[in-house]
Amino acid sequence: MSSEKPPLFKQTSQYRDWRFTPESLAQQRAANNKKGIERVLQGLREEAQVDDDPSMSETRINEAKNNLLTPSEELELVDYYLQMVHVYALTYKRNGLLKPDAVNNVKATAINFIKRFYIHNVVFDYPPKSIMLTCFYLATKVENAFVKIDDFIRPLQSAEMKRGGKAQTKNEDILDLEFVVIQSLQFELAAHHPYRPAYGFYLDMQAYIEDKGLLKEVYEKTQSYIDQSLYTDLVFFYQPSQIALGAFKLAAKDKDLDIDPYLTQCFEARLLESLYTILDDIQDIVSNRNPTAVDKAREIDRKLILCRNPEKNPNSKLYKKKVADQGEVPYQSDSE
Amino acid sequence: MSILPTAAKQEIPAFFSQDDSCPQCKSHRYLNSSMKLLVGPCYDKMCEGCVHRIFDAGPAPCPECGRILRKNEFYQQVFEDVTVENEVRIRARMATAYNKRQTDFKTLKDYNDYLEMVEDLTMKLLSGEDTDLIEEIIEKYKRENKALIESNLTKQQREEKIQRMILNQEKSKRQQMREEYLKQLAEEEREKTEAKNSLINALATSDKSAKEIIKTRTVQLKKSSLSNRNSNRRAQLEIEALLKSATEGLDDDDEEMAEDVDDGPFDPSESPYEPAKITLREKYDDPTPVFRQGNLAAAGVTREIHYRYLLEGAMAGLFELPLADKTDEASN
Repeated sequence: MSSEKPPLFKQTSQYRDWRFTPESLAQQRAANNKKGIERVLQGLREEAQVDDDPSMSETRINEAKNNLLTPSEELELVDYYLQMVHVYALTYKRNGLLKPDAVNNVKATAINFIKRFYIHNVVFDYPPKSIMLTCFYLATKVENAFVKIDDFIRPLQSAEMKRGGKAQTKNEDILDLEFVVIQSLQFELAAHHPYRPAYGFYLDMQAYIEDKGLLKEVYEKTQSYIDQSLYTDLVFFYQPSQIALGAFKLAAKDKDLDIDPYLTQCFEARLLESLYTILDDIQDIVSNRNPTAVDKAREIDRKLILCRNPEKNPNSKLYKKKVADQGEVPYQSDSE
Repeated sequence: MSILPTAAKQEIPAFFSQDDSCPQCKSHRYLNSSMKLLVGPCYDKMCEGCVHRIFDAGPAPCPECGRILRKNEFYQQVFEDVTVENEVRIRARMATAYNKRQTDFKTLKDYNDYLEMVEDLTMKLLSGEDTDLIEEIIEKYKRENKALIESNLTKQQREEKIQRMILNQEKSKRQQMREEYLKQLAEEEREKTEAKNSLINALATSDKSAKEIIKTRTVQLKKSSLSNRNSNRRAQLEIEALLKSATEGLDDDDEEMAEDVDDGPFDPSESPYEPAKITLREKYDDPTPVFRQGNLAAAGVTREIHYRYLLEGAMAGLFELPLADKTDEASN
């Protein structure tokens, strides 16, 4: 029998289409940001013609120019909404809409979708607040934990009312973006997370590590490190199993457990050498993560209101005119 | 190599009917049961005797239609219907001239166009219109593509040869295995009777206790059957070596193809992916043994599937290196 079979993980769309180097990712984001800004200014100029009020639009354009977001600001804003995914996941779990054993996967998939979405789009066109909800809604379907759209928006509306306003979120806000999101994801909806590998490692290590109680504690701690890793870009650089093992090492360090004997007994030293550099990098990135604070996010959000692309904003005059003229505003991704 | 699908070459029985009669000498199958009816290129029939009589002296006109025929152009009929016979012959002839393969074309469309062109020519030949013109086209094509046609022809012959060789190999392998098996059976039978006889002898002549003798004998018996099995194993290996040397005996340029073929029969249940390197253990301290949940258990999730799934997840791509920085990646 020939042994030229490909390994299974290389056949995943995640491996094929969603791997980057840190440099290429940064370059792509910078390029998207630049193109996005051009579109914003172009959109504002077009809106000026619709508006019939040149003086007003001049100030609008100047305002936008003063408040443009840099690529890193875009990232910070997205990061804040990634954290919101976690908050929403807990809310849905509390309301009994998400089964407890589905929470991790739905959350991880939603976060993954948002991150993938902003590789091909910018926040000027699609603000992360609505994209986050759509990705979450999509993730419940993908992870086989479907929440009906009416049930889905109820907690959102009640939160809005609690804050003293009236319920604003409508079904369409989420559903209208769904196809846009799926297109940006290149119709690839399978996401692989470190939770399963971590579970596998936990089981595999049991034969090598004496202290079962401590190992279990380490495994539980590992999960929280994996939660942290989801917010980083690690998923674009490394395999889920590598991220899981990195998280395991971090957790083991916290609990004073040495898992190296497991690795040296199970794998060849030649292979381990490169694995250790990978694991070190993963541990670095996870432990150095710096979540965006609420205040900072609010500040960026405020700037974003001024520099949104009116062409994609359903509330703008330009958008309404285009819809009236053409029926719809076609979706166009940055990377095409 | 003859290209015509004669009955002899294809090992297909020739067409045969009790009502056959030769239109020339009027001899009938009823009177002459060994009569052989042959068909010429003009699809007129006559018996073997008439063919000899008329064409032994060289080319002569067909007594039915007047076309000039040669003796070696006659062959045994395969199909009852001569139009079918005609079509098969024309198609076989076209296939030798137009034997390009898909790999000879750049795109699938080119290949399909070529096939359509060939089919059009064939249909025209079959309908009998403009035969001369078509023949001219075919001749021209043959001249222009001489080299390619020949190389494809040798390729085809080689494939056929290998196919035949494989069939023969399988046949001889089966035969050898059967012989080996029969031999083994006979050997075992012989040993059994021998052991029995010697046991009876020992019981009759020795002065040890019967129990002791039986005990030592059973041990000996076990040993001998073990050595027997070992020798069987050796025989098996010998057969395999023999077969291997048979495949190695192929011509040089056949080797590559033989390797392709040697992959063995296709097994649909075999995984198309590289098997994961995991070790399943007897017992795990599992916080959530989902395979015990009713719905999953009913769906066929067993303990093994559950653990295999988790461990394979852990080992998938564990040693995969991250992408190296490339400029084309960035512009993508």
